Amino acid sequence: MKKLLKYILLIAAIGLVGYKSVYFKKLSDGTNASGKKFDAVIFSQKLWDEKMPAKIDSAVDLAVLMNSVTKDKEAAFNKYSNALGIGNYRYAFIKTQAKVIAVNEDEIQVQLNVADSIMNAVLATEYIYGNAIRDASALIDVKDFPNSADLNSISEQVNKIVRSTVLPSFKSTVKKGDTINITAAVELNKEHIKWPGLELLPVRLQIVH
Amino acid sequence: MASSYKKNLSRFQSVIALLVLCIVLSLLTDKFFTAANGVNVLRQVAVNVCIATGMTLVVLTAGIDLSVGSVLALCGAITAGLLKNGIQFPSADLYIGFTILGAVLGSVIVGGLLGLMNGLAITKFKVPPFVATLAMLTIARGFTMLYTGGHPISNLGTNFAYIGAGSFIGIPVPVWIAAIVVLLAVFITQKTKLGRYIYAIGGNETAAILSGIRINRVKLIVYSLGAALAAIGGVIVTSRLDSAQPNAGISYELDAIAAVVIGGTSLNGGKGSVWGTVIGAVIIGVLNNGLVLLNVSPFWQQVVKGGVILLAVVIDKMGDKKE
Repeated sequence: MKKLLKYILLIAAIGLVGYKSVYFKKLSDGTNASGKKFDAVIFSQKLWDEKMPAKIDSAVDLAVLMNSVTKDKEAAFNKYSNALGIGNYRYAFIKTQAKVIAVNEDEIQVQLNVADSIMNAVLATEYIYGNAIRDASALIDVKDFPNSADLNSISEQVNKIVRSTVLPSFKSTVKKGDTINITAAVELNKEHIKWPGLELLPVRLQIVH
Repeated sequence: MASSYKKNLSRFQSVIALLVLCIVLSLLTDKFFTAANGVNVLRQVAVNVCIATGMTLVVLTAGIDLSVGSVLALCGAITAGLLKNGIQFPSADLYIGFTILGAVLGSVIVGGLLGLMNGLAITKFKVPPFVATLAMLTIARGFTMLYTGGHPISNLGTNFAYIGAGSFIGIPVPVWIAAIVVLLAVFITQKTKLGRYIYAIGGNETAAILSGIRINRVKLIVYSLGAALAAIGGVIVTSRLDSAQPNAGISYELDAIAAVVIGGTSLNGGKGSVWGTVIGAVIIGVLNNGLVLLNVSPFWQQVVKGGVILLAVVIDKMGDKKE
């Protein structure tokens, strides 16, 4: 009798732990449980075509960002930048006008006239890598992705789109002395902000004259 | 009188070594002896304490478990995978989701089963522990790569992150977990029949068999416990990083063995204690922390750590000879 009671209590305890440990759903109900393989190419193209233009349109003027950061760093980063992970690195879409001072094989050296001062920056035209564009867009929620590989493949595809659609026509016509409008993603370290030499990863480029 | 003094000195040699180390580091850098750094050291050693506690039980039976680092990685990945993806049965349109409790229990059970396999290879097939667990080291690492596809499984949620990064009444949660693990292991080794059997098997296996101890069963339990504790270490590491890394836990087995040896447990079995291992793990943690604070090159850090382990074994052997 005592043994039976022991077994009943044991089964009840296992049942309770099991009840608190697992839950059941229909596969077709859950986003995580779609069972479908993530297609980064389709996803990123759709993102670029449908959602990215609005984000690029709303890029902050670089002078405004610099001024805001000087006034209240935390508030400025909260308002204008985004990051998927923890840490000091933040990403933002900025827009600015610049003068081309050198056209190199992998990059273009530009001079920016921001906040009443001249500042040099580097516009990447060959090596478009990293997560800056994806993260600056603030269009991705990490919770929607089951693993980092899927998340990273979005950056890979978005960067590929930039390399194949934004850069070729620009690179073939730009020359030293041109004035250009740049909308680009930038990576900023909250604790060690360094504006001169800022690297710009373009998402929209226009030669003014 | 003198002999009893010497005996006490030898018993507390690792505690004395820890105190000397702390005093020296406090004199060399003012960043060492602070509450924040103390908490930091404790948080860092918690994982090694969990693994090394299991390793102590194994070493006390005159065994060794080289697979704990890989088991930690696999179990960490399983925890993350269950939390993030659950288990899917597309043909039945069924998704089994796991709560944090479920994912942690699942990974500890898998850890226990891996340890059981080690134990079976050692007891039923008479494979030497070194070889059996070396094989499991590779197998578990391979399964980790297969399960994760070689990619980290990240973003597991703030509730899960609390296990590795949170604090309870000012003390990091991993330290609480390690403390519970240690107290349970101390209870097992000092207050239960299983504990006495573990020491008996390590002390003299033949005598243990002749006195009726079912040594195979004890070894199965010990290896399962060791791997389950590595799984708990895996849960802590995964939670702390908010990510299961396929390369997690590499060479953790060496840190665990070092903690066991520095703590005075004999690699021949039958002699040692869980408390000693805790001190050993803290010595390694303090040493790592101190060398970083002193800006010692990582390459020299390895040399120093190796030297300390060697010194600990030499002192232990000298003590054995005298006895």
